[in-house]
Amino acid sequence: MNMNEDEKWHSLLARSVPAFVGETEPPYGFTTAILARLAERESKQMEKIGLRAFFAALAVLAITTAVTLDLHFQSRGELEPGVRSLIQMENVPVS
Amino acid sequence: MDQPAEIIAWLQRWKEGDESAAEELVRHLFPVISKIVRLHLPRREQEEDLIQEILMKTFSRLHQYKGDAPLTHWVSRLALTTCLDRLRAQKIRPELRWADLSTEDQETFGASWLGSSAPSAAGAIQARDLVEKILSTLSPEDRSLVLMIDLEGQSLQEISDNTGWGISKIKMRLFRARAQLRKTMQKLEEHP
Repeated sequence: MNMNEDEKWHSLLARSVPAFVGETEPPYGFTTAILARLAERESKQMEKIGLRAFFAALAVLAITTAVTLDLHFQSRGELEPGVRSLIQMENVPVS
Repeated sequence: MDQPAEIIAWLQRWKEGDESAAEELVRHLFPVISKIVRLHLPRREQEEDLIQEILMKTFSRLHQYKGDAPLTHWVSRLALTTCLDRLRAQKIRPELRWADLSTEDQETFGASWLGSSAPSAAGAIQARDLVEKILSTLSPEDRSLVLMIDLEGQSLQEISDNTGWGISKIKMRLFRARAQLRKTMQKLEEHP
C-alpha cells in the first residue's frame, strides 16, 4: 500500500475498533441456556449408554439361547448309556 | 504454566460433576470467546449462537485438556479454529467494486480520510461493515491474520502460538493479504 492507502486503511480500522470489542459479561439467560444444554447432552449420553447396555444384554441373551438350543437339539437323539443298554437287553430274544 | 488456582479448582469440580463449576467456567471464558468471535465473526452468523457452540465444544473436549497451557489459550485456539471453519464455508468475494458498496459504505469510505476521530457507535458499526466487506476479498486465514495484526496489535510470535502457524507462513500470508488489500483499496479509490 502506498502511504495514503495505508493511512486510509488504518484510519478506517481505527474507526471500527469500538464495534469489534467483545462483551465482558454473558447476556441474561446465556449461562442458564449453556447449563441446560450441558445437562441435556449428559442425559442424552446416559440414554445412549443405557440403550447400548440394553442391546448388549439382548445380544448376549440371544447368543446364549442359540447355543443352548443348539446343544439341546444336538443331544436329543442320543440316549443315556443305561437306557440304551436297557433297550438292547429288551431286544434280546428270550429262549 | 500460569494457570490461576481458581481455574484448576473449577476444572476439578467440573470433572466431579459440580454444575456450579461449569457456571463459573462459562462466566470466565465468555469474554475470551466473545472477543475472538466479535473479531473473526463470519458475516451473517449469529454471534451468541457461535459463542454457545464454542462453549459446548469446549465442555465436550475438556477431558482432552492436558493443562500444559493456560485454559484461556486452549479455548482461544478452539474459538479461532471454529470461526475459521465457519469463514471457510463462506464464499470469498473475488473483488470489491465501488458499485458493490451501499451509500453508507461510500460515505464511510470518504470519511475515513478524515482520520481516526472518535466516531459514534453507529459510525463504528458502519466502519466495521465496510472493513468486513474489504476483508471479504481475502481468504479466511488472511482475513483473520490482518485483524490480529492491524486491530489487535499481536506479534508474529503471539499469532504463531495462537494458531499453530509457522512464522514464515504468517509472513507469507501477510504479504499476500497486504497485496490484496492494496488492490482493493486502489480499486475503491479509483471509482468513477
